[in-house]
Formats: sequence, C-alpha cells, structure tokens
Amino acid sequence: MVETLVKSANQAVEFLKQVSRPVPDAAIVLGSGVKVLEDLPGEQSFSYEQIFGISPTIVGHAGSLTFGRVDGKLVAVLRGRFHLYEGHDWEVVTLPARVLVEWGVRHLYLTNAAGGLNKDYRVGDLMLLDGYRDHLSPHWKQTGLLPAVMAPAHPCANELSEHVWRVGQQLSGSDPEFRPLQRGVYAALLGPSYETLAEIEMLRRLQADAVGMSTVPELKTAAGSGTLAAAISVITNVWSDDAPIDGHEEVLKAAKAASERLDRLFRAAIAASA
Amino acid sequence: MAFTAVSLKGARRIDYSGGADGFERFDSFGDRVVNLLRTSTGSKVLVVIDGGFGFANAAPHVVRDHLNLTGGNPLVGPNDSCGERFPSVNDIYVTDLVRSLPTGVAAGLKPGVVPSDKELEFIREMGADFCCYNLVPTMIVAAHAGWRVLGIVVPEGERLDASVLAVLNDAGGK
Repeated sequence: MVETLVKSANQAVEFLKQVSRPVPDAAIVLGSGVKVLEDLPGEQSFSYEQIFGISPTIVGHAGSLTFGRVDGKLVAVLRGRFHLYEGHDWEVVTLPARVLVEWGVRHLYLTNAAGGLNKDYRVGDLMLLDGYRDHLSPHWKQTGLLPAVMAPAHPCANELSEHVWRVGQQLSGSDPEFRPLQRGVYAALLGPSYETLAEIEMLRRLQADAVGMSTVPELKTAAGSGTLAAAISVITNVWSDDAPIDGHEEVLKAAKAASERLDRLFRAAIAASA
Repeated sequence: MAFTAVSLKGARRIDYSGGADGFERFDSFGDRVVNLLRTSTGSKVLVVIDGGFGFANAAPHVVRDHLNLTGGNPLVGPNDSCGERFPSVNDIYVTDLVRSLPTGVAAGLKPGVVPSDKELEFIREMGADFCCYNLVPTMIVAAHAGWRVLGIVVPEGERLDASVLAVLNDAGGK
C-alpha cells in the first residue's frame, strides 16, 4: 500500500509539542469499541489525520487523540489504531506508539477487544497481558508462520503492569461488582478473518488465553524504550465449540459493557501512579 | 490443483478445472479464484482439489477445518464489498458430499516451505492431519465471498479415485 501522506514520527511529535507543551504523564490507546476516559476536564482533541496524516478505516476506531486531566495528571487518549490487516505496513501500524515513545511519555496503557480462549474466562473480563504471541509480524509472510507458532510466548510483565494488577486487586477487594482482573497470554493474529475452530484449539494448546489482531506492534515498539507499556484485553466473546461465533457488532457491544470497569481501573491506576 | 464450482440444488455449474495449472505464486492464482467468486452469483459451493503432503494417514482427505500457517491472509488490505471486513471462516466446509473419504484438518503452509520431521510432528501436535500450500488461502477467499467449500487434499503422486470425481460430477449436474 502506498502511504505517501503519512507523517514521520518526528513530524507528529513536533505537532504534539506545539499543541501540548508538557509531555502527558500517560497515554492510553483504545481498541475496537472500548470507551473510557470520556469527558475529561480540560479536553482538547485532534484527529489522527492532523497528527499522523492518516485515519483508521475500521468501525469502532474514531481516530482521535484527546488531551485531558485525570486526578490532575495530563493524559493523552488515543481512540483507534492502525492494523496490518487494513493493508498498512509496520511503520504505519507502529507510528502512534513510536510517537509516544519519542515524545517521552512514561506510561502507555494499551487496550484491545479479544476473543477468550481460556475456558475459565467470561465475556466482559479484563485480562492483563503477562505475555504475548506474535503471529502477525510482516516477516512471517516471508518465512511462513511455523517459526512463530513453534516459538514460546514473549513475556511482557513490567513495573507498570504490576501497578495495574495491584490497583485491580484493590478495586475488586473493595467492590464485589468489580470483577478481579485476569492475567494471561495474548495471541496476536494477522486477521482480518476470524480464527477457525482448529486454530482456536491450536492456540489453546500453545497456552494462549486470548486472541486478537493488534497490540503486539505497540508492545514491541515500547519494549526497551523509556516508555513502560501495559496492555489489557477486553474479552468480548469466549470461544466454544457449541456457541455461535459473534460478528464485529457483538464485539463492539461486549466491549462497551466492560468499558465502565476499565474506566475505573485506568482512572485509579493513573491517579495512583508515581 | 484443480477447482470447480458446483451447485447442489439445481443451479448452474461453472467448470474451472485446470485453469490454475502451472501457477508459481498464490497471488496470481488467487486473482483467478477471486474473480471467479466475485463474478458468479448462482453457485455457492466451491470444490477445491489440492495436492498435499505430511499425511498422518496417507490417503485423500476431505478438509473439515484448517490452520492458516502461511503467515499471510488474502483478505489483507481494503475490504472488498462482496463480504464482511471480519468474516468467520468456520462452518464453511462441505464434508458430507463425499462420504467415501476420511475428513481431516489441513495445515496451510507458505508455498515452498518444506517442514522437517520435527516440524511435521509439531504441526500434527497442533491438530493438523496433513499439509498443503494453496487450499487454505482459497478457502478464506471463498468464505469471505459467502461460499462454502468442499476441499479435497490428495497425497502427492496419487490420483483421486474416479468414483470421487463421479460423485462430484453427479452433484454438479443435478
């Protein structure tokens, strides 16, 4: 795909520096249909088109960056992301994360809508990523997917994800309505077709707990940088041999239902972060 | 590889057998299949016959599911309006038309990838019964276009029994 209008990370950082002199304390990237941190004090929004020169093409991905305050801390909420299955190359898919890293944002919270592979999961669960499987990187197109499938999961727990875990435990301990967080391994597949039942069984044998089509590019981008990234999957359906397979509309609906708890989690985690 | 589109309830039949002989890359072959699927409005079952290898049980099989291990997906890019952006590729397999063959799970590999014995063992541990190169991308395209697929994978060097072809011919001629 020709991406001639896409801005460089440096150009996007310069734009953001002009509209927000302080670097945000945290940035949050929201996946399909995930709605949190809305109506923040002091909001100021910009379209992805303005910042990155390109907009997402998928329903449920607004394509906007909003600055606002959470407990007095400046945050940047990125609604929507770019996906490899849209035909974008790796540079475009990782552009927002590279911009946040280059800008010096210390804490990056990533979200996605995911299918639950772990049979103990329920629709609406929030899963904190302890690890991920990369089945989507473009180099697999050159080699085939076999090396990726045979490789172990990549661990991704860090200081920030442990912080989120502790905040989640506090919330569930003080409020029975707040479901305890799950922890698990996220398998990122290229898509856009959903997994077959045989692929679901394969991923279960590989001990993956949830499956989706994003997030891993951002985690790989932030790894080793000064930006700590923690990722949470919103479990929007649980794969079962008996259950019908939901379409994208059902994914959006389930993601919305879990958003309230995720909103509380993020507000508490950002407020309590050093 | 050969493929033909048949209807099972008296609608018209499209023959496309042999049209993909000699292809080198799925991209060029895929264009032909995609064009077939997108220009045809009367038939909804695609029959795909592909060569395979790495069989746990060395015999022609009807595909009942697949693992896409190609590293790619033919639907990457702007969505074609003939199907949904996020198609389900389950429940697309026609397995009851050819009852004389066993069913199995196909592992679709990137063309040219030849798995080692260790890799083949791993592929089987993951649930596949045999490997092939071109059938899985074809199935994904067909599912996206709303078609169901009868996939038959034949061990390399073997021929599909004439009785199976006769069943397909009879079904297509109804």
